[in-house]
Parts: sequence; C-alpha cells; structure tokens
Amino acid sequence: MGELADGLDIDLSRVPKKYDGLDGTELAISESQERMAVVVAPEDAERFCRLADMENLEATVIATVKADPRLTMTWNGRTIVDISRAFLDTNGAEKHIIVHPAAAKPWARDIPADFEAGYTALAGDLNICSRRGLSERFDSTIGAGTVLMPFGGKYQQTPIQAMVHTISLEKGHTDTCSLMSWGYNPAIGEKDPYHSAYLAVVESVSKLIAAGASFEDVYLSFQEYFAKPGQDAARWGDPFAALLGAFKAQMDLGVAAIGGKDSMSGTFEDLTVPPTLVSFAVTTGKTGEIVSNEFKGAGHTVMLLRPRRDSRGVPEAESLRALFDTVHALTSSGKALAVYTPTYGGVAEAVMKMCLGNGIGFAYEPDVTLDTIFGYEYGAFVVELAEGATAEGLVLGHTTEEYTLSHGMQTLSLRELQRVYEDKLEPVYPCNILGSGRDIPAFSYMAVSRPAPSIRTARPKILIPVFPGTNCEYDTARALEDAGAEPEVFIIANLTAEHIARSTERFARSLRTAQAVFLPGGFSGGDEPDGSGKFITAFFRNDRVKAGVEDMLDRRGGLMAGICNGFQALIKLDLVPYGRIIDTDEDCPTLTFNTIGRHQSRIVHTRIASNKSPWLAATEVGQVYTVPISHGEGRFFASDALIEALAENGQIATQYVDLEGRPTSDVRFNPNNSAFAVEGITSPDGRVFGKMGHSERKGPGLYKNVPGDYDIRMFQSAVKYFKEN
Amino acid sequence: MVYRVYVEKKKGTAQEAVALYNSIRDFLGVRELRMLRLLNRYDLENISQELFQRAVKTVLSEPQLDDVYYDLPKAADAVVFAVEYLPGQYDQRADSAAQCIQILSQGECPTVRTAKVYMLYGDLTAEQVAAIQSYVINPVESRMASLETVDTLETKYDIPETVAVLEGFRELDREGLACFLEKNGLAMDQEDLQCCQAYFRQEGRDPTVTEIRMIDTYWSDHCRHTIFNTIIDGVTFEDEHLRRAYEEYMQVRQSLGRTKPVTLMDIGTIAAKSLRASGQLDKLDESEEINACTVKMKVNVDGEEQDWLLLFKNETHNHPTEIEPFGGAATCIGGAIRDPLSGRSYVYAAMRVTGGADPLRPVEQTLPGKLPQRKIVTTAAAGYSSYGNQIGLATGMVDELYHDGYAAKRMEIGAVIAAAPAENVRRERPAPGDVVILLGGRTGRDGCGGATGSSKSHDLHSLETCGAEEGQRSGGTEAAKAVPQSGGLPPHQALQRFWRGRRVRGSGRAGGRAGYRPEPGAQEI
Repeated sequence: MGELADGLDIDLSRVPKKYDGLDGTELAISESQERMAVVVAPEDAERFCRLADMENLEATVIATVKADPRLTMTWNGRTIVDISRAFLDTNGAEKHIIVHPAAAKPWARDIPADFEAGYTALAGDLNICSRRGLSERFDSTIGAGTVLMPFGGKYQQTPIQAMVHTISLEKGHTDTCSLMSWGYNPAIGEKDPYHSAYLAVVESVSKLIAAGASFEDVYLSFQEYFAKPGQDAARWGDPFAALLGAFKAQMDLGVAAIGGKDSMSGTFEDLTVPPTLVSFAVTTGKTGEIVSNEFKGAGHTVMLLRPRRDSRGVPEAESLRALFDTVHALTSSGKALAVYTPTYGGVAEAVMKMCLGNGIGFAYEPDVTLDTIFGYEYGAFVVELAEGATAEGLVLGHTTEEYTLSHGMQTLSLRELQRVYEDKLEPVYPCNILGSGRDIPAFSYMAVSRPAPSIRTARPKILIPVFPGTNCEYDTARALEDAGAEPEVFIIANLTAEHIARSTERFARSLRTAQAVFLPGGFSGGDEPDGSGKFITAFFRNDRVKAGVEDMLDRRGGLMAGICNGFQALIKLDLVPYGRIIDTDEDCPTLTFNTIGRHQSRIVHTRIASNKSPWLAATEVGQVYTVPISHGEGRFFASDALIEALAENGQIATQYVDLEGRPTSDVRFNPNNSAFAVEGITSPDGRVFGKMGHSERKGPGLYKNVPGDYDIRMFQSAVKYFKEN
Repeated sequence: MVYRVYVEKKKGTAQEAVALYNSIRDFLGVRELRMLRLLNRYDLENISQELFQRAVKTVLSEPQLDDVYYDLPKAADAVVFAVEYLPGQYDQRADSAAQCIQILSQGECPTVRTAKVYMLYGDLTAEQVAAIQSYVINPVESRMASLETVDTLETKYDIPETVAVLEGFRELDREGLACFLEKNGLAMDQEDLQCCQAYFRQEGRDPTVTEIRMIDTYWSDHCRHTIFNTIIDGVTFEDEHLRRAYEEYMQVRQSLGRTKPVTLMDIGTIAAKSLRASGQLDKLDESEEINACTVKMKVNVDGEEQDWLLLFKNETHNHPTEIEPFGGAATCIGGAIRDPLSGRSYVYAAMRVTGGADPLRPVEQTLPGKLPQRKIVTTAAAGYSSYGNQIGLATGMVDELYHDGYAAKRMEIGAVIAAAPAENVRRERPAPGDVVILLGGRTGRDGCGGATGSSKSHDLHSLETCGAEEGQRSGGTEAAKAVPQSGGLPPHQALQRFWRGRRVRGSGRAGGRAGYRPEPGAQEI
C-alpha cells in the first residue's frame, strides 16, 4: 500500500483486524489479496464507503496523501515508521555481477526405432499423457463465455491449445473474444535456455494461430523461474541466455512482452529448477473465426505445414510469419477443419490428440519418416483440410473411420493407446472411476396440464438473491433478461448483525412484489460447514422470508428455481420435492459430494424425463439437452422407493444420459454418480424446479468444440407462464 | 459455556474418509489400516442451548447424510487424534458456520472453532501412526489438537502497545550487522543493511523494528526484482548464438539511446521499447500505472463497436505453494486477479501452468524436509481450483509440466485475463489531501512476510520455520513469518462485483497499484 503515492500518512490503528494482538509491525507488512487500497478525493470518501457497504464490503479510511515525499505510519498515537521515499526507492545497495553463460547442449528429440513402440511410450509420457483428471476440477464455464471447452470433441478428449472466451460484458452480447496460450518445454530449457525461450515464444504464438487467430495484434507476457544465482557467473548465465532468446524472438517476430514476472528462488540445497521461461501470448478475435483442434471427420486429408528452419529446427522468422498468414487464411475461410501446432511430443502427439475427441483414426502416408512424426516441429501446423480444399505442404496422411493409427505396415489400436494415455496419471488425478453399473430406467412423464399464476404479468420480476459466495448471478440475470423477465439482483449483506437484519427485512419486502425467485449457483459460505447451501437455507428459514416465499408460491402462483448451489439450497429446504420449507429428516432426498470426491466441470447431456414443470413447458419428453456442469456436490441421494414415487408423479425432471440418450451411472456422463442419474427434480406441481446443470451458461458462439443443443428454454418458459397463462 | 458436537458422514456418503483411507493404504503403503473414521468437531460459544440445537440440525449436520454425537464415540481399539488449524490461520468452516448461525438467529455472531478427529483402526505400529499424522498435518498450517473439552474459546491476546526501537543500530560494526542480519532472519544482504545504517545515521536516530521489517519487505526480490536489477558488468560467451543476440541487444540499446546499465530487466523489457519506438505496438495502452498488461481493443457490443481495454497478467507463488500447497496455490490465482482488478477491470478467465517432479514416485523417495510431490500437486490443484471456482473465474486451460528439477521448488503459475470499457478507466495522479481507503478483507497474521519468505534461500528448515506461528515474536524483534495466504473469499468476489458496474467508475491515480474515484453523479443502487 505504501506504493500508492510518494507521500503518505498511514494510521495503522485504523486498519480493521481479524483479531486483536497484531502489533504495528504486523499491520505494516501484511500483504493480502482480498483487499485493496484505493485513493479517493476527500469529498468522495464518505460516498465511496457507503457504496462499498451496499456491496457487503468493509471500507475504512486509513491514510492521507501528503506533499512531503515520506512514508509515515503511526500506531497507537506513536510514529513507528518515518522514511523518505527517495531512500526506499534506492532498493538497497547497488548489486554487480559478471555473467558467464554455459555452452548449449543438444536438445533434439530422441527418435524411436519403431512406430508402435514409439507411440506407446509417447502416450504414457508424463509430459504428454492426459490431464483431464487435473483439469476437470476447475470450473471452465462460469461467465457463459467459454468458446472452447478444455477438452473437445463429442468424447471431450482433445485438449485445446489456446483458451478462448467472449469478452465479459455486464450487459448485452458480443462475438469479440480473447485468446490466451502458453509455451515452454523443460526438456529444451535444461539444455539450451536461449533456444528454449525463443521456442517458447514461437510455441505460444503458434497456438493462437492454430485456434484461428490472426497474427496482427499478438501481445506477450513472460514468467521466468530460475535457480537462485548467488554469485555464480554460470548460474547467472541461464536467465541471461533465456532473456536474450526471448529478446531475439520478440525482435524477429515483431511481438513484444509487455509484462512479466520473475521468480529467482528455484533452489533447494543442491537441487535447482530447470531454467524456465514460459511465454504467455494473448490476442483477440471473433468467435466465428475460432477453429477447434479435434479431427472433425473421416476421409479428410491432413497436411503438415512447416516454416523453413535452421539446422537445430528453429523456425526462420520471415518464413514463420508468412506461415501464420497462410494458416489464418485457411482457418478464416473454413478450409481448415482442425489445426494443431506440434509441441513437446511433435507431430505424433498432435495427431494422437486430434484423433481422441471424436474417436477418429489416422493413416500416415508411408513415406512420412519417423523423424517427422516423432521429432520437434515448432512453428509447424497439422491441418485437417475440408473436402476439396488444398494447401501447400507435406501430406501427412488422412483421417479414418477405424479407430486406429497406421503407418506403412503397422497399425495400432487407438483404444489401447488411449488407455495408456488416460491411465498414466489416473492414480494421482482420477477421472475414470467406475460407476455402479446398474441399469437405470429412463423415466417418461408427459404433462397433461400445468398450473397457472393467479395474475398475469407481461414482464415478471424475478428476484435473484446474492449470498456471500454466490457467483452465477450475472449469467442468470442475463439469461432472464434475454427471455423478457425483469431480474432484480439482491445482495444479502452480512458484515454485522445489523446488516443481516436489514437485508432480511428488505428481501422480505422485495418478495412481495416478485413473481419468482431464482437461486443462482456459487459457493454460498464456501460450501461450509461441510456441505453446500447452508448459508442460503439459514436465510430462508427466517420466519419473515419463509412467510414471503409461501405467500409467493401458494397464494400468488409464483415460481421458484435453483441451479447448482441454488438446487442444493432448494432441496435442503425441501422446496423440492415437497414444495414447502420444512426441517428435513433422514428420509428426505438430498445432494451430496460427487463420488469422485472432487469438483467436476465438463459438458453433459440430460434427457427430459418429465415436462410437468412450467419451467420445462417448451420441451418434449425424451429430448436431450447438452449442458455444462460445475459442482462438487451434485450427487442426488434418495431411496429407490422415493425416486420411483417422484417419477410416478412426474417430479423427476431430467436425467443424465450417454451419447445414445440412455440414463447411465458412467462417470463420463453422470458426473457425480446420482441415483437413477437424476439431474433435476421439481415440487409436486412442478412450480419449483431445481437442477445441477448450468442452463444459464448459454449463448451464441460458445462450446464450439462440444456440439449439442444447449438451450432448454427454461427462462423463456417461465416468462411465458406469467405472460400467457 | 462451550458446546461441543461431533459430526460424521454416514456410510455410503463418507467420500473424504474413503479417499483418505485409500491414499493411506495405497500411497503411504500402510496396508494394516483396516478402517478409518473422520469426524468434524465443532466447539461453539456465545450461543444459547436452543440455538445450538437448531444449528446442529440445520447448519452443522444434515440428517440424511450425517450422524451426530455429543461425546466422542468410544473406540477402545482405535488410535484417535484431532487436528486443528494453527491460531491465525483462516478457517472457512468455522467462519461459515458462525455466519450461518448468525443468520438463523439474526443476533450476534457466536464463536466457532473446528477440528477434525481421526480414528484409525488396525494393527498399526507407532511409526505408521506417525507417518499418517505427518501426511495429514502440514505444520505450516495445522497442528495436533487436544481431545479434552475446553472451558472457553476466548483467546487472550496480549495487546501490544508499542514496537521496539532498535537501540544501538547506528553503532553496529560490520560484525554486529552480520549478527543482526542473522538474528532477525532478514532477506536483505549486508550491503543493503549498511545502506539502512547510513540512512538512519543521517536521520539521526535508530530505526524501529517496523521500519527494518518494512524496508526488508520493500527491497525483497519478490517485490523489487533485486536480481533482475543487478548490474551486469561483463559477459563471457561460449555460444555463438548468444554472442550475436547480445550484439543485437547492444545495437538496440544504442539506437534507443539507452544509458541505463545492462541488467536482466533491461534485456527482458527492451524489445517492447524498441518495437514501440518503431510503431509496431499501436494497441498498447500506456500509463504510469503498473497493474497489468493492458492493450486497447474494439468490442462488438450488440452490433456496436466500443473501445475497451484488455488486461492480462501472470503470477507465480512457487515458494508458498511448495510449503503450503493449498493456501499457496489459492493465493497464486488471488494475486494474479488482484492486479487487473486494480486496473478497474473484470477478471473473467484464468489459465494455470504448473511444474512438478514425478508425482507417481513412491512417498519414501521424498526428499527430507519436503512434502511428497503427490501431496503438493494434488493439494495445490485443490487450492487453486477452490479459489478460482469460488470467485467465479472460468479456468480455461490447466496444464502441468514434469521435470525432476521442480522437486527443488514447485512452479505454480496463474495467468488471468480481464476487460473493461475504456471509459470506465480514468487515471489521475494522487494529490495531497486525498485519502486512502482500505477495501475488503480484514488484516490477519496470514499475510505477513510472504514477500521476504520467498526470496530467501531455503534449506531443510523451511517447513518448520516459515509457518504462521504465533509466539515467534520474541522480544518484539521477530515478526511472525508466514506464507501469504488468502483469508476467505467472499470479499474478493464482492470486489469484482463492486468495480464491475457503472455504480463506481474507476479513476486510477498513477504510481500505485490502484486508485479510484467514484464518478460524480454515478447512480446509486
């Protein structure tokens, strides 16, 4: 905070503390991310603090900017720091060093003698094998802006090389998107920091181009990580060489690192980290021009487009820049169906990963050498061409129906290769745990009639409470607004007992004029204590709030829905399946931790089992909708008898299904091991609806690498219920 | 009066216990473990008996999933121990429980403390029990808890009133300064300390301990890139590529008329200066603020082209993640978010690139003084994802590199991307009379000393001495050391929401991490 202005008077006694007992030194040097210091004009301070309070944020004036360039801190009325800015800015004693970078070692990739053995080793290489079990614990779809899922294809198996998101707007829609990628190979870094850094830049930029970006406005940021150099001239040589390599790459390509971060502490006794310079590349584009990297179909020609290279395999800059333009012309014209730039595992890795997503095989041309397949090909592009399209380059082979990889006389099973690829890190990052294997019936309940509201409303007001930890309110409000509703985002403040009382009262008042309540997803209270939704349920158990909900539901024919954390809250209040707030007992259904024991984020498919709910009025029983899920506690848990009774009454709304539309316990489709593959349920008459899948995370241009119908039209259906019933 | 309750997941839903049971048997290789029970223990104070009972039923347990006990279940044949967070560590479970109960009662917040009780069944040797305990207890964040009941949860803090003045500092000789450096565990070196001494001689007084600690933090490599700013007095080459690139670098320096000394920082940043000078970086958004990389872009908003800023930033938290993987990795993404957030933008996507040694290697091969790689990689993934998922950030790419060298120290990189309409970002210089407002979470001990901790060389003692331990403040000269760690998420998330709308338009004051000014006439909610 001392960096805000040259002259500052800070009163440490005013700093809000978590607990007593912190002394002045601790207050002075504490560094934390979840707060920030803000300079405002004195006349704005009061209003600023008031606005913060409304957002449930504590704001305290703790310092004043002064002309005198000194940093002064007082504590308990005593001045404990009084230092001139000029002295602080010296950064201590000037340091000097002589640098002696070591000679580079060769780093070409070992070429296997045999195609099959080479491929099998590659699939199980730690640096190439599947990271799905690691990646899928991260929410990849919040914000409803994910253009490419981390893993593409109908099987969600081909890892993307650049992440692409539409620019996040508070309101409205856009097809402008950002792309970000990274590049670095530790196997080169340890041998030749100079070329490693050069190729890191090439790799990061090539990945953007492969995803459909143009080379016009690419910007970089670097992350350096090296051993602590001390006074060792050779150790100093590593970062020196790497930075020179990165400098050269930037000058050659005409792209610049406009930021970066260095960490120079990678030493533990005699052990050191490999010289590491990771290049991050960023640009913008249009969602319509984004191309995903999984093979799209069988019988397509696949080319290898490469830049001219020097004897070590480092691309020549001019040729590389021309190639970027060539590839962009192919992607933007629709001639390239899938593009992948080879990295750590060369062409072999690229082709294998492109096959996985849609379960498509590949036949290499017999004259393609093992050097080409298994060597490094930085700056090159593997391109699946659309039928009839042509490109200049090496014909690598063609895609096939048979799920195999072949080269000359050798053919190997991709299924087998995929097993090696997926099993390697399974013990550390599980993702393929076994389901119950139980046969699950597909429920079907066709609605004959649906309830109606007591009064029609052209533009229903839908209340969206935001609890500490709620994070899907923007996406939900946008989906409701797009459907023609009037969303009211309501922040529940809990800074003090008084804030809680005020929020409760105001919320109860707002409820009286609302037609519906939507509980958005998130992690209210961080899903603690040891279970989700408890913060929300505590709030709704308040007498006034509870009475307001009953009035809205029972007397005015209102609606209620919850997704993810909202569903968890609804079920823990018994609003689903019982339609009213009661204290649960041990026979009530609930949602609990996914059997896999961690958060799951991917795309799943759900089948409409009942369209009884007004929220599902636009659907037909048996239809399948594709939807992103992202949760740690989505396992529907109830007795068989209760589930069958609910199904009988049309209260099982949706079930997780496989690619053939069958309910299943297979973890790839039923991500949490829900009983009877239940994804969503309703109250007895269907007016309260809870589901795990994020149906609000939809929009044009999203999920381009995982096809499906993502619009279950639940928001339009709710508006229609109030408008036309 | 302190109420105590134990909550245990019923059979069939006890995922956490099953997962731990499996990793103890498979990963630690303790095949003799027959059964493992895990109970959450809650102690509550400042609460009525009636409210306590209600809280047990609706907040602390769920009848469908949990069994509840008011006394520790009898387990004559089991090894029983309990683990709690170190004092000063943020305990989200306890915090959320207290807040939920407060919402139920609409009254004052009760005090809640939690612990986890482990019950191990099977013929276990003392060594096996110790191995399990060291697997579940990371001394940097948690410790063994007593199984006895307590009379009160109140912590008696010594309320400190003053900080020590380091009498005699100005008179220390060379040896004295070396000793001072050693005794205080500072990250700066002897020459730096001499600069301090010269400065305070000039000021005509001895420094306070706070001043020395603050300067140490300020000058640490983590904050100020000491190594990157070291002046390179000469280079000898073995490699022709390098020599030629260096010559090109020198030519670029010359053409830019640069007189500042050759440093790693200069080599790392000169390409951008040169390309900018030749007009190739026309989208770069230049300002005196140094929050994050910022470029200008056009965004098509419902058919209308608007001027926006795109911000991105990468951040590492290698050292903290190495010793406390969950908190360290969480803070990595937290730190990456902070800078674009300071630029008044909305952070919407993240990437994670990490480096580890082979996590499949058996636990016995772990280096002495280190956590097992498997523990680091999985716990760090849990920490980063927990933070990112909660704040509502789409993590679009996650990758991990494996190299034996990363056993020296983990690499934990987070990168984020953010955007804001250009008109929302105004920048002004701070002026005398302006006030500084601290916004967001409260200050605790968990954020102290992170910067200097990561800059120090590490050895076997790192795990033991770098914790957020209380009682380290001996004689007022030893500040508590800790990894920088995020204490609770919601404030950060609310910060995102706060800056997003037009409710508060940012107007940054140059020269600092952040500076804002509410727009006059901005609409209030």
